[in-house]
Amino acid sequence: MNVLEIRNLTKKFGDFIAVDNMSLNIREGEIFGFLGSNGAGKSTTINMISSLLRSTKGDIEVLGRNIATNGKFAKMNIGIVPQDISIYENMTSYENVSFFAGLYGLRGNLLKERTEEALDFVGLGDKAKSFPKNFSGGMKRRLNIACAIAHRPKLIIMDEPTVGIDPQSRNYILNSVRKLNEMGCTIIYTSHYMEEVEEICTRIAIVDHGKIIADGTKEQLKAIITDTKNIWIEIKATDSPSIDSLKQIQGVITAQLEDNTIKINSKGEINNLNRVIQQLIKDGIEIRSVEEQAPNLETVFLTLTGRNLRD
Amino acid sequence: MNILNVALKEIKSATRERRTLLFMLAFPIVLMLILGTALSNVFSGSAIVGEMQLLYKITANEPQLTQSWQSFSQEIERQGIKIIPAEAGMNGQDLVKDGQYSAYVELESDGMKFYGSSKQSIESNVLQGMLTAFADRYNLAASAIKSAPSEAKAVMESIQSNDEFVNETSLDPDKTPGAMDYYAISMTTMIALYSALSGSFLFRSERTRQTAIRLMAAPISKGELFAGKVIGCTIINLLCVSIIILVSKFAFHANWGDHMGLVFLILTAEVLLAVSLGLGVSYLVQGEKSRSVIMIFTQIASFVGGAYFPVGDSDSIMGIVMNLSPLRWANEAIMNLIYSDDVLGAWPTIGINVAIAAAFLLISALIMRKREAL
Ligand SMILES: Nc1ncnc2c1ncn2[C@@H]1O[C@H](COP(=O)(O)OP(=O)(O)O)[C@@H](O)[C@H]1O
Ligand SMILES: [Mg+2]
Repeated sequence: MNVLEIRNLTKKFGDFIAVDNMSLNIREGEIFGFLGSNGAGKSTTINMISSLLRSTKGDIEVLGRNIATNGKFAKMNIGIVPQDISIYENMTSYENVSFFAGLYGLRGNLLKERTEEALDFVGLGDKAKSFPKNFSGGMKRRLNIACAIAHRPKLIIMDEPTVGIDPQSRNYILNSVRKLNEMGCTIIYTSHYMEEVEEICTRIAIVDHGKIIADGTKEQLKAIITDTKNIWIEIKATDSPSIDSLKQIQGVITAQLEDNTIKINSKGEINNLNRVIQQLIKDGIEIRSVEEQAPNLETVFLTLTGRNLRD
Repeated sequence: MNILNVALKEIKSATRERRTLLFMLAFPIVLMLILGTALSNVFSGSAIVGEMQLLYKITANEPQLTQSWQSFSQEIERQGIKIIPAEAGMNGQDLVKDGQYSAYVELESDGMKFYGSSKQSIESNVLQGMLTAFADRYNLAASAIKSAPSEAKAVMESIQSNDEFVNETSLDPDKTPGAMDYYAISMTTMIALYSALSGSFLFRSERTRQTAIRLMAAPISKGELFAGKVIGCTIINLLCVSIIILVSKFAFHANWGDHMGLVFLILTAEVLLAVSLGLGVSYLVQGEKSRSVIMIFTQIASFVGGAYFPVGDSDSIMGIVMNLSPLRWANEAIMNLIYSDDVLGAWPTIGINVAIAAAFLLISALIMRKREAL
């Protein structure tokens, strides 16, 4: 069954088109990743799904019902983890979760049970009576998640839930996503960190300029770029190679210098490694290592958009 | 049910804002204490109640009445009230209108006609009370005609109910407000007006904390949210007002009169007006500017409305400005309630407050509905 169906969804802010005629189906049990750089239109899309923004055009169906006519039904079945931490600093963790869950109709003992369950789930059970103003970034992010799940939504939408936190909290959150999924929740996960998306998502859509430019499992996405290869050349940190002259070499699609590594994306069928190395030697660059990278989502993104994800 | 949830949350989080609470409670109480004790000399006697001049004319040809009137006059002249007989050809009503006298009374065989000055409302109310007592004593049917017929009804009704308080309050010179009595009222009405600040934060805080996102995503209508917030905010501010009343009454022994219920209702209406005003401004004026607008308004309204010193009646532009202050409306209504048992006079004040509140609530609700976000 499709938990979410989006058809020809468009959102304009004035003349600017933030989401451009997007169509998409998400099936029950998926962890669906929205991968795209900042400003791609990920948040705008999920804000329309969760009724925070009105669409300019197009339809959204949640569990088979159009949200324009069944707004309340859709809201009851969605839990949203906003990109910006959305909690009351002057209320305890418990009060935060309990207040929001209460808005979904939970009362009395059930409300208490679900609130405690949600706090335990994100590992804040012992912080129930603490105020979030003293929390670390990671703890706030986890509370942000607890507030979204206490009412046991079928579809959980997480908008960049790991921005600005320590690796430990990040792992905790990624594990929570898996656990929620095992418990039967369908999940939409947006991120501009490709490692995360690659690690947990069962299906991924690459979003750019408000459009889905590719969509499939990570294997399917990587298969798109078998006709290109990625060569990473580590050089002496103080050297400054001429990237432009590398781009002139036949077959090279893009070339970039990141820290002390030259990242070259090149056509697969052309053997140009020799010429690249000759060029670098001619420029007096000291080469430390050369390796060919297996394709990953970043290189997929690079190939499809000609840009880096982090740009 | 969601309305209740939201209201309770508002109240709970307001009690956590220590600095705001401290401001709402300590500020008026300390000012009350300072002004109330420092200025107690200024208030001795009739500082608030100005000189009272009663113009009268007896048209009835009844020695009994004339004699009673003489002894009544002597009695109240001893309390510093000037009793002046109207000379032939004088139009008492016009002279009162011009502000030359506080009130004019005609004693006729079939009753008493009373014209009170709307410019010296406290004075004329006191006189009205005394005359009602007089009328009571001599079983005269009196009718008062002020500008509004409802005022006439006031006197009629207080006569019919044979209200002893009128008698007591009006004839007892100690029953004019002392400094502490005055500042207890004016500080309470001032802090009630400051509720406008919390009103202006009701939705702005949700926006800045990003919690508006969750509220919008939750299955709660904007209407429920709106109602819950206004109710919660009004209750928490009324709680502050109540604490100030209790402190002033029991710690500072301020006189709050015998109509506490009605006094509280006036204050409730004032808080509702302030909260709605704050909310309305936060929707009409963008961002940080709305806070400044509210701050300036409440401070000017407090100043000219008599929060820091009693304001007299005036015809000048200043007088008009003063009469625009909700603080003054509340102060006058409460003063009249306490010192001249003007029960009916409270209702128009309550009505105006509620009507303005309703207008601002409506504006906010309409703007909010049109907006995509909160
Ligand atoms: N309320 C808005 N008004 C105008 N432009 C907006 C608004 N919200 C988002 N945008 C623009 O829409 C584009 C997509 O934004 P967003 O959906 O937040 O991107 P992402 O979440 O993928 O980083 C951006 O260029 C952003 O500047
Ligand atoms: Mg975003």
